[in-house]
Amino acid sequence: MFLHKFVKTVSVVALLLVVQISFAQNKVITGKITDSKDGSPVPGVNVSGKGTRIVVQTKPDGTYSISVPASVNTLVISSVGYGSQEISVSGKTAADVSMVVTNTALNEVVVIGYGTQRRRDVTGAISKVSGDKLTSIPVPSFEAALQGKAPGVQIIQGNGLAGSGSVVRIRGIGSISASGDPLYVVDGIPIVSDQFLRGNGGAMNQNPLSSLNPADIESVEILKDAGATGIYGSRGANGVIIITTKRGKSGKPQFNFNTRVGISTYAKRQHFANTSQWLQLRQEGWINDGHTGLAPLPGLYTFATAAANNTDWWDMLTQTGIINENNLSMTQGTAKLKTFANLTYSNNEGYIKSNSYQRISARLNMDYNLTKNLKISLTSGYNKGTNKRVPAAWDGGIGDAMSSALPFFTVYNPNGSYFKNGANPVRRIQETKRREIDNRFIGGLSLEYQLIKNLFVRASGSLEYVTAFDDIYESNEWINQPDPDSGYAKRFPYWGTNKNGNVTVNYLKTVKENHKFNFLLGAEAQEYVRKGYLFEIGNFEAVPYWKNTSGYRTRRDEIINQRRTATPPQPTEKALEEYTFNSFFGRVNYSYKDRYALQLTARVDGSSKFGTNNKHGFFPAVSGAWTISEEDFIKHVKFISFLKLRASYGIVGNANIPAGKYYGNYQPGGIGYVGNPTLYLNYNGFGNPDLKWETMHNIDAAVEFALFSSKVTGEIAYYNKQTTDILMEPGTAPSNGLGNIYRNLPNSKILNEGIEFSLNYKVINKSNLKWSVGGNISKNYNEVLDWELGPDAVSGGTNDTRVVKGLPLGVNYLVRFYGVDPADGLPIWLDANGKQTKTFSLNHRVYAGSVMPDYMGGFNSSVEYKNFEFSTLFNFVVGGKIYDNSGKYQFMGVSKKNWNFREDFFDRWTKPGDIAKYPRLTYDITTFPGVPGEDQFNSTLFLHDASYLRLRELTIAYKLSSQMLSKWKIKSLRFYLTGTNLLTFTKYPGGDPEITRDFENPQDRNLSPNVTYLTAPTQRTVIFGINLGF
Amino acid sequence: MKRFYFNLLLLAALAVCVASCKKFLERPPEGQLTEEQAFKTEADVVAFSNGIYTLLGDNQFYSGRHQVLNELLGDEYKGDRFTGDYAEIFKRQNSFFGGTRDDYYKLAYRIIADANIVLKHLDLATTAKNQLEGEAKLFRAIAHFELVRMFAQPWGYSTDNSHLGVPIRTEIGLEPKPRATVKEVYDQVIADLQSAETLLSDVTPSGKFYTATKWAAKAYLAKVYFQQNDFAKAFQSANEVINSNKFTMDAAFSSRFSLGLSTEGILVIKDQTTPNQFNPGGDLRGNFRSDQSIPGFTFTDQFYAVGTARAADLRKAWYSNTLQTGYNVLTKYNKNFFDLPLVHLTEIKLIRAEAGAETGGANLAIAITDINSITTRAYGGTTFNLPPNATAAAVIAAARSERELEMVGEGNRTQEIKRIGARNGTNVDRRGSVWNCNGFILQFPKAEKDANTAFVMNIEGGCF
Repeated sequence: MFLHKFVKTVSVVALLLVVQISFAQNKVITGKITDSKDGSPVPGVNVSGKGTRIVVQTKPDGTYSISVPASVNTLVISSVGYGSQEISVSGKTAADVSMVVTNTALNEVVVIGYGTQRRRDVTGAISKVSGDKLTSIPVPSFEAALQGKAPGVQIIQGNGLAGSGSVVRIRGIGSISASGDPLYVVDGIPIVSDQFLRGNGGAMNQNPLSSLNPADIESVEILKDAGATGIYGSRGANGVIIITTKRGKSGKPQFNFNTRVGISTYAKRQHFANTSQWLQLRQEGWINDGHTGLAPLPGLYTFATAAANNTDWWDMLTQTGIINENNLSMTQGTAKLKTFANLTYSNNEGYIKSNSYQRISARLNMDYNLTKNLKISLTSGYNKGTNKRVPAAWDGGIGDAMSSALPFFTVYNPNGSYFKNGANPVRRIQETKRREIDNRFIGGLSLEYQLIKNLFVRASGSLEYVTAFDDIYESNEWINQPDPDSGYAKRFPYWGTNKNGNVTVNYLKTVKENHKFNFLLGAEAQEYVRKGYLFEIGNFEAVPYWKNTSGYRTRRDEIINQRRTATPPQPTEKALEEYTFNSFFGRVNYSYKDRYALQLTARVDGSSKFGTNNKHGFFPAVSGAWTISEEDFIKHVKFISFLKLRASYGIVGNANIPAGKYYGNYQPGGIGYVGNPTLYLNYNGFGNPDLKWETMHNIDAAVEFALFSSKVTGEIAYYNKQTTDILMEPGTAPSNGLGNIYRNLPNSKILNEGIEFSLNYKVINKSNLKWSVGGNISKNYNEVLDWELGPDAVSGGTNDTRVVKGLPLGVNYLVRFYGVDPADGLPIWLDANGKQTKTFSLNHRVYAGSVMPDYMGGFNSSVEYKNFEFSTLFNFVVGGKIYDNSGKYQFMGVSKKNWNFREDFFDRWTKPGDIAKYPRLTYDITTFPGVPGEDQFNSTLFLHDASYLRLRELTIAYKLSSQMLSKWKIKSLRFYLTGTNLLTFTKYPGGDPEITRDFENPQDRNLSPNVTYLTAPTQRTVIFGINLGF
Repeated sequence: MKRFYFNLLLLAALAVCVASCKKFLERPPEGQLTEEQAFKTEADVVAFSNGIYTLLGDNQFYSGRHQVLNELLGDEYKGDRFTGDYAEIFKRQNSFFGGTRDDYYKLAYRIIADANIVLKHLDLATTAKNQLEGEAKLFRAIAHFELVRMFAQPWGYSTDNSHLGVPIRTEIGLEPKPRATVKEVYDQVIADLQSAETLLSDVTPSGKFYTATKWAAKAYLAKVYFQQNDFAKAFQSANEVINSNKFTMDAAFSSRFSLGLSTEGILVIKDQTTPNQFNPGGDLRGNFRSDQSIPGFTFTDQFYAVGTARAADLRKAWYSNTLQTGYNVLTKYNKNFFDLPLVHLTEIKLIRAEAGAETGGANLAIAITDINSITTRAYGGTTFNLPPNATAAAVIAAARSERELEMVGEGNRTQEIKRIGARNGTNVDRRGSVWNCNGFILQFPKAEKDANTAFVMNIEGGCF
């Protein structure tokens, strides 16, 4: 439609011009066209005189020169992907124009490793999410905001604890013991994103990414294939997430103030039996087992005393959290100096009482043109994240409210003292406090020098410095020691430095106009050390260490002094992690007539993580693109605005394993035996000199398109990734006595193959009404192609999922539940051959499902009507399974396990003839034939469909018109109301279907997402915000 | 252009520099010693061997887990409060998953692997060479012996003992190993102990038995032979230990688990109360201690009656049904700290007594003396002593019953049920299982099978 009109208009204009041109006297207008976003020149822009047929195109440096009749007072500037503009040129001979991108798909600048490219020139698979999309919703950590916004990127939101991290998987998962997380690069620095810096203390993985301030982020690029990640070599296999912080923009100082307040609660909770129900069910199980009389009760209760209480523990532990975020930024830019500065304070309370994440953050990024050829850039950011922690899951707190805090338990005894004969999560939360304080400073300085024309040398050095304090305070009531005035304070600090330096040489060369080359050669070195003390720093104190840092220092120095003066002197600190990388890399881009593009990358990585026998790895990749829409034979196909084919192949690696694993790990004992020194070989620390990276062969092929004057844009991509040399820690025979060993498993191969599809459609694009819809869907097929170990050689952290040849990674390997025998209420199982049996056995276990989804994606719609905006984002998962591991215990809650009993289990067998969903209740689950114990009662009875559809974001905004604002000297003012996780559609009976459990280690994280154990449901938030620009 | 090449050259130079700094890529994290750094002198090997003592005294081995597993399989404790792994093992239906059992298995093999590491580095040793080699072989034998008793049917289950035992590890290596036969395991254990016996010293420099002497090797030999119902050899080894006169019976029962008060211990893991020293016995206290809260382990009324049958028995102090109302508890471990004897004179005397009665002749008289020395102490007099003309059968019966009473809570009973069963097919289990039923032994960790599909797992259950 639009196209049709456009062609018509152009034709008419052309006709008119023919008439005019012969009469008029001409004038010449020159100028430069730049991108409004970053001021970079835009080549190939059509500049025409309005009302004439005169059209010229801008040169590679963005300049143009047009000769039009003197009567022409307006130029029309248009280019695919940019909003067309009309500028007045009456009485002018020069006109520079800053163009606003409308089609981000084609002209946006994409950050690639060690450089940038225009979207249309990119040969690899890169999804870009701009910063404003990340800050549109309050999230515990920036990566959660990527959900549903990039195809092929699976984000499982963190659980409901403040500051918790999401599981991020780019195009599936091909690793077992090595982390499957992508590499995070912030302004060129590969940062530490390890979720296990604090292990699984307090049933939470402390997420280092939460200390990146979303308000600092200009854009996030997600590099998915080898064409894109090849330049990152041994660390590119899981994809790379490049985070670029905001920098100063040309123009007068401009300020932005954003503030928002809101509330947080839970998205979807579990519901439990109350006291009278619980007691009745307990008795039912007791009688079912053939007992008589009243069933025994825990906590010294009788049926009568228990019935008097009914505590709603969930209610006692939760609150409506208050969210408050404030952000003030400044940007300024002259020819010499550009500055971006930002200050943030936020305090986001979770829905669990006394749980919050507080951020104080400052950033200063500057670019200074020292001389014409020399630019110096400073990148610096400081973030202090204070996470007021609460225990969860197996560690109590909200976990207890879902498990062992029974409804007839009370917080206090009648005499006012705490109830202690069973779980009392309120006492726990009131009498113990925990706080994680993380400071992250990132500073980088880079010099870019243009030696000669088209030859740039860039050197940059950066330092990331992290300190973290895990503070715990246990009150006197909790530790019950003689001094009534003091509890016990302890603090576990670590501190780390991440130094990174690189030098790149970039040379641009054009041969015979049509052959363009871009050479990049670089070297990089990285050194990372993170240290901690060898001892606990703790003492009896009246207040926690975070309120008494001098008390902490005194205690710390006292212990250090003790150890130093001991005979023999004892060491005080050790490296928790220490490694180096030394790399060389190169990239050649060649393009011909802007139609054919070829890119070669190669990287050599050496690392102290790799064994003596495999010190360096070589990682080459090749990628190419063919912009078909530039071909003459397709140019006349009017509805095609842009069409590009691209493909890549490369070898990339995964080196995401702990350092020091190829050496033996001997350590002097911290304690002696009969006064004599001891020395140990750490279990799991035998060392393996052959240790190396995981190798991945990665193929990508895609079609990128823009149709109907770019109203419709999209991409269809196919990928095939095969991982070999799988890094594996467990699976050795325990009789070796040495434990698990990191090794590259021979004859192992994992496939990830998939299709991604994304589409955006601007349905209406008028000045006062804009409506666009978009979405993406991706399917990943995962299969373990080669494997020679038994099915239980790898199990997730808590024995949940398995690795079996011919099946997806992380399969549920369970006894199949067939149904309930109406005669006696006992479960009927299927044995491995599918035959019905009433005797449970672990030998009946078969493949029963996978925790990986079949399809996932998101779709969005946004409407702008006059000054109103209305936008929504849904995300969805189709297929895959959830294993409800705590549901297993909740089902046997009324047995001697003594847990809360979930309401959805009410549909149980009670008398002969009952057709029920769940078996009869029991006091002792081992009365079910063959069940060896509570922990082994795993079956498909607790395996559920993981599909869900969720209203992830909903925003209504009102933007005041600039006319109104100009009176108050305000540039922009916007009010908005945003909700997250407002609606969830799922068949999963256990509450929230998005499950990021507290994981034990990277392997658990790789294999057992969607396996829940008292996982706190995700947050639901509603916020009101104001953006003010002045 | 010249400058361009010049700069390329510069870059190349930089690259070479970084690359040549090979040390940059050799970076064991601070505090981590490589094998070369760890073993430089004899003192390092001695320190490593010291470490193995603390592994023997680890919670997952002799400081609790070993006793816990044995008592769960046995017939003296109530089972209704056990859950999870404990409940499974108690039901003699141990399945192939379960950390309680796995961790014990791993620790036992860790002791073996560490012993093999000591043997590998013996070339560094000079004056302590024999002691180190003897200790390593003793440790290796102890762990193999306990493993074969826990994970395989007992000696005597098949006539030639060709039934499957546990993997034997005499070298360091990651590769899986199949199960050796029970005979092969016992042969290895005996060979190691015999070698240790000749290598180890007669006394320790301190005069205490906190490190191994030849008597420790001999005492374990006595235990091994006794478990084999090889009474002549058991008698001989026990006799040599007793006649060394290095060990004397404690006057007070409370001394056996005490801080330095016992004189019975033949090999004792020392508790050092000074800071940063090793404290054994944690999981014994954790599971049995009864003066602070209701312990996990409580006796059946049936066994409580057995233990407290005789009014005169001073050992009744080890029992209480009032400390935790309604529960029959053990008081043996109601202490904050104690030294942990791995083998003690009372046990060796009971071995000599029963072996003496079995072998007869002159040994019978010695056996009667042994029993009487125990009963005199236990009953505060000679009331329950055996007459000098007691029959062999009476001595055996007394030895067995005194053994149960003396070693209550020490993880002794289960192996006795099996040994007696293997001796002549008698089933003495109070819970009614046949001594050689499948579930009376622990299942192997599933990981063993996953690493080696040919690995033969035990058959589970079938004891009730």
